[in-house]
Amino acid sequence: MSYVLGVSAFYHDSAAAIVSTDDGEIIAAAQEERFSRKKHDPRFPAGAINYCLEEAFIEPESIDAVVFYDNSALTIDRVVRNFMSVAPRGRDGFVTAIRSVLGDKLELPELLSQTLGADRPFWFVDHHLSHASSAFYPAPFEDAAILTIDGVGEHATLSIGHGTGRKIEMLKEINYPHSLGLLYSAVTAYCGFKVNSGEYKLMGLAPYGEPVYAQTIEDHLIDIRPDGSFRLNMDYFAYPEGAEMTGSRFHELFGGPPRAQESRIRIRDMDLAASIQAVTEKVVLRLAKHAREITGSRNLVMAGGVALNCVANGHLHRTGLFDGIWVQPAAGDAGGALGAALYAAHTAFDALRPVGDRDRQKGSYLGPRFTPAEVESLVDRLGLVAEHIPDSAARAMRIAGEIAEGKVVGRLAGRMEYGPRALGARSILGDPRDTKMQSRMNLSIKYRESFRPFAPAIMHDRVAEVFEHEDESPYMLMVAPVRAERRLPFGWEDFRRGGADMLDAVNRPRSDVPAVTHVDYSARLQTVHPEDNPEFYKLLDAFEKLTGCPLLINTSFNVRGEPIVMTPEDAIRCFFRTEMDILVLEEHILFKDAQPKQEDDDEWRSEFELD
Amino acid sequence: MFLPKLRARVAHESGGYLLETNELGFRSASEVKIEKQQVLVFGDSFTAGDGVSNGKRWSDTLAREFDRAEFHNFALPGSGTDQQYLIWRKFARDRQSDLIVIAVLVENIRRIMSAWRPASNEEGQTVFRAKPYFELKDGLLVRGHDPVPIESVTASELGEASVDLGGRFPTLRRMLNRLEVKDLVQSLTGYQPVPDYDHPDTPGWQLMRAILVKWLGEIRTIHDCAVAVVPLPLYQHVEGTADPKAYQARFSELGADLNVHILDPLPALQGYSQLERRGFRFERDVHLTQAGHAAVAEALAPRIRDLLECAS
Repeated sequence: MSYVLGVSAFYHDSAAAIVSTDDGEIIAAAQEERFSRKKHDPRFPAGAINYCLEEAFIEPESIDAVVFYDNSALTIDRVVRNFMSVAPRGRDGFVTAIRSVLGDKLELPELLSQTLGADRPFWFVDHHLSHASSAFYPAPFEDAAILTIDGVGEHATLSIGHGTGRKIEMLKEINYPHSLGLLYSAVTAYCGFKVNSGEYKLMGLAPYGEPVYAQTIEDHLIDIRPDGSFRLNMDYFAYPEGAEMTGSRFHELFGGPPRAQESRIRIRDMDLAASIQAVTEKVVLRLAKHAREITGSRNLVMAGGVALNCVANGHLHRTGLFDGIWVQPAAGDAGGALGAALYAAHTAFDALRPVGDRDRQKGSYLGPRFTPAEVESLVDRLGLVAEHIPDSAARAMRIAGEIAEGKVVGRLAGRMEYGPRALGARSILGDPRDTKMQSRMNLSIKYRESFRPFAPAIMHDRVAEVFEHEDESPYMLMVAPVRAERRLPFGWEDFRRGGADMLDAVNRPRSDVPAVTHVDYSARLQTVHPEDNPEFYKLLDAFEKLTGCPLLINTSFNVRGEPIVMTPEDAIRCFFRTEMDILVLEEHILFKDAQPKQEDDDEWRSEFELD
Repeated sequence: MFLPKLRARVAHESGGYLLETNELGFRSASEVKIEKQQVLVFGDSFTAGDGVSNGKRWSDTLAREFDRAEFHNFALPGSGTDQQYLIWRKFARDRQSDLIVIAVLVENIRRIMSAWRPASNEEGQTVFRAKPYFELKDGLLVRGHDPVPIESVTASELGEASVDLGGRFPTLRRMLNRLEVKDLVQSLTGYQPVPDYDHPDTPGWQLMRAILVKWLGEIRTIHDCAVAVVPLPLYQHVEGTADPKAYQARFSELGADLNVHILDPLPALQGYSQLERRGFRFERDVHLTQAGHAAVAEALAPRIRDLLECAS
């Protein structure tokens, strides 16, 4: 058997993925940040590559090709052209960009050779073709329109393609500097969040606001055409010149300077979040319609950072424009590693592409796993106290019982997720019926902003009982409303008028599952299917049997700024740093109050840069 | 011991190597085919194969050459001949065996003299962990650290206890390594890495001999199988910067005294060019490369063939 190794690196979210050249099976994929413990780590993914070979358990000679997820020559071309368009301004940005392209990337073949221990054929795939491949090849469709939207690749910031069988045809693209992703990032930065990590927070903030600036954005910042194509008015943006995203005209347009990071969030920030969300949804919907028109396909697949906007995805889903929508769970640059590998496997090595009812992403459980023996050895070495319950049904019932009593559980079980969302393998779980749980988990366990909502993980066959959604959403990439009959009247107007603070608003019950119901009654769904994750499904089933509630709060197992935990060591460290009550490590359960006293550990505050 | 049933790729200066362990925690296959001759191999990291994948080790290379035999590798990195003897007692004494190969990295003579080994704790600090060991008292082997203490100790807690620091002159060695002149200095100074072999009556050799005598004696009381002792040379001996005659003489005497087969791979290894011999170890890691393992296997193969033929 032979394989293709895909690599993404040197921008953000470095990753590696390995696929079979026989049938394109995804053997393994992981982000470097999980190994290096540096969030969004852009460095060469030596740890992830080593893991890919470990999972495949192969010598480097079994790798037919290593494929990088973008074309460096085209990126250099874009960087130079961009500088020439703004010179002599933008010198610093140019130096940074060109150093990245000419420095690290030039060393790529040597770094690969060192990590693999052998020289292997080395290829490039264009950035948006990598994204398109990551979306199309694992999807359960023989034929699909492909939409990729991100900040920027080499030149393209957005592309429309058409996938049929093993073939992908790229049909249209929009080029830098006109970028929906960068527009969203510009507003993210203006609202005081970090670019490339804060976009998700902005999306979570949007339901607190009103889209009162949407028309202003359309009037001044972006010219949206009927086919979804657009042009930005670059007079308002500073990103072509380097460090800043927005310029003085942008600040004047919205009445002042950007919000300082970590300062109080204002109504203006919430309204801007709602406004850019509305504009984004409008563009995505038009693009999707156009993609359908020019491809004739009844299916849509998506990737690129903007495809992580699950609110827009949910909106698109509810239009009924497509029979099927599939979004690559590692939609950002990390997923480019997988896309590059799949593209080479299917086109250069003619790997088969069997299409069935379910996708080929394996639930996105594509990362490292740890055996009960490894856990036991670690627990013994650290002198911790653990309850070992090898029987999975008994274990599920034990954990479910604790959650039902209000305990917060960190769970490390099975292979780690690929992509930014925790899907049960590296998750913190809680009772969604508890009105105080959202603020408790945000403030005492995640140490993050209190406004941020939590997602529900729900048994796939029970989703329609709780949400206005009938299809699967296995990757937490679709937002759907809570069913009307489960909602509670929710006085929200006083908060809008400044009469209540955000924490008070967050703690008001909004439904019978308040901890996963956002202030607009929406929820970011994860449906759990026993074929993807039988253990997690068992846990949900046990919780349902005890409480009648078929869902749990599911949030990523980390503290703010920390990459999601990967190893049992990471999990134990995070467990003791937070107010989590229980830690599940495969078959072992650790209760916080049964452990030997630990020294106070506030190191995470300096160890992890806030995101 | 490794964790049982482990499959890992260990990052290494060679890129990385695949490590797979059986249910006992050894880098060895689990399978036992009754119809095949059973060869049990004991040793340290040079036999366990630090730096190379399981299939590229000298024991696996031999296994491919002799398809009627099944090789089981019980080697444990960082162990001395004393611990290897205990491994045989605990895990292999009752196993069917047609040939037992005891690979003694000649440096093991230092390890058996120590009761503690340096290790890193969770915080990355150097601590010392106890190992089982033997002492010679009135000509008899007496076991120390039985049971082996689990708690590690710091250097100050250790006091005057015997520790194996991995070679002579550890501070100087670290400095020379940092300056990348260790090989040159050793060559110019005629450095002898294992002086305990210089005379038959050194404490180190006396202890090594006693351990091997006891081990061989127990094997012979239980099994009617061939036993071979393989003195594995250090790279200084292979590359000609240190004189191997003393250790060769000691093992030769041992073979004659105990009527045990001594399979010395060094003469064959010395037959390679200087450049090839340098390629038997990694650039920085002194363990055997794939080429080194292949050369050791090739050196041992004729004698192993003879022993297996006799055993059948």
